[in-house]
Amino acid sequence: MTVKRITFLQELLAFTGLEGRVHLAWISSAEAQKFVQVVTEFTEKIRALGPNPLAAYSEKWKAPALQAESIVKAALPPGQ
Amino acid sequence: MNAKIKHWLEEGTIDIFLGYKMVDGHPLPHCFTKERIDELNDLVISQTRYSLEKIATHVSVVKPDIKIGMLARDCNQRALNVLFIWNQLNPDNIETVNINCCPSNLKEHGDCSYLEPETGGIYKKQVGVDNNLQPAQVEQNNSSQRLDRWMYEFQKCIKCYGCRNICPVCFCTECSLEHKELIGTGTLPPEVPIFHLVRAVHMAGRCIDCGLCEDACPVDIPLRLLYRKVNEIVGNVFDYQTGAGAQQSPFNILGDNVTLEPKPLKAAQTQNS
Repeated sequence: MTVKRITFLQELLAFTGLEGRVHLAWISSAEAQKFVQVVTEFTEKIRALGPNPLAAYSEKWKAPALQAESIVKAALPPGQ
Repeated sequence: MNAKIKHWLEEGTIDIFLGYKMVDGHPLPHCFTKERIDELNDLVISQTRYSLEKIATHVSVVKPDIKIGMLARDCNQRALNVLFIWNQLNPDNIETVNINCCPSNLKEHGDCSYLEPETGGIYKKQVGVDNNLQPAQVEQNNSSQRLDRWMYEFQKCIKCYGCRNICPVCFCTECSLEHKELIGTGTLPPEVPIFHLVRAVHMAGRCIDCGLCEDACPVDIPLRLLYRKVNEIVGNVFDYQTGAGAQQSPFNILGDNVTLEPKPLKAAQTQNS
């Protein structure tokens, strides 16, 4: 059931363009070495995907507002 | 058809009938009763769609034993199936009058606002989106194109909750989209894309593709497309067709493949110590 739910989530994220960021592994608390290996590999995989794409959007959307502010400032006489 | 409904009301087969009545030139949802049975002459069947089963759900919460009749297209029928499975409506208390929906050579005509996707949504046509988009049509885009497009669509959201309010199968009394500790109310704009992805995930096993969410959205976010993909994934991964019948959903609290038959206890074995 867990496999199905995680597969569902992975496919939904892939549809919206955020693929490859969810990973499922079964590891017992006695398999410490396997845990280290899985986490390290996945961390490298995520690092290779680059910076968070969502952060780029919030910067992009702020831009028009910043432009408006600079336009207003340019219109005011200096010292205000 | 009017005669049948009148007969039902008079015989007491149903206590109320949910349909549409023309009010000031608009067909609006209306509750017909036995006391004012002549109003049935004003019953209007047009391309207008509304989730009458949602009204039925709200009424049944207040009066669980009330018998309700309603007009039902195919999408309403699927919604009713889902509501029956999730115990929101009692199938014994619901009578439906089927009305035509999609056109077909076997029918004389159809009555649904989705009949003519070519004529709907002028703004949407201009930006290349139509009401009947299928997931396969957008899947040729690559990952970053998809993200660009979806983020553009989601950031238009003004958190009006229209999609959630009109949805016939949204019945949770504590909605995650309003829950203080989760998404909460009162802050705008909504967190993009979390708001919409949460809703999409909650639509798994519930959405019956009626399209009212996209109709209700004031900023034209292609919600029906997103939930169609959700339904596709549910069909592939869980092998479950939402709204198809009386089969229990794999998303209920017990999961799938659970049989709760009690097993007989094995007789205790006595051992000589």
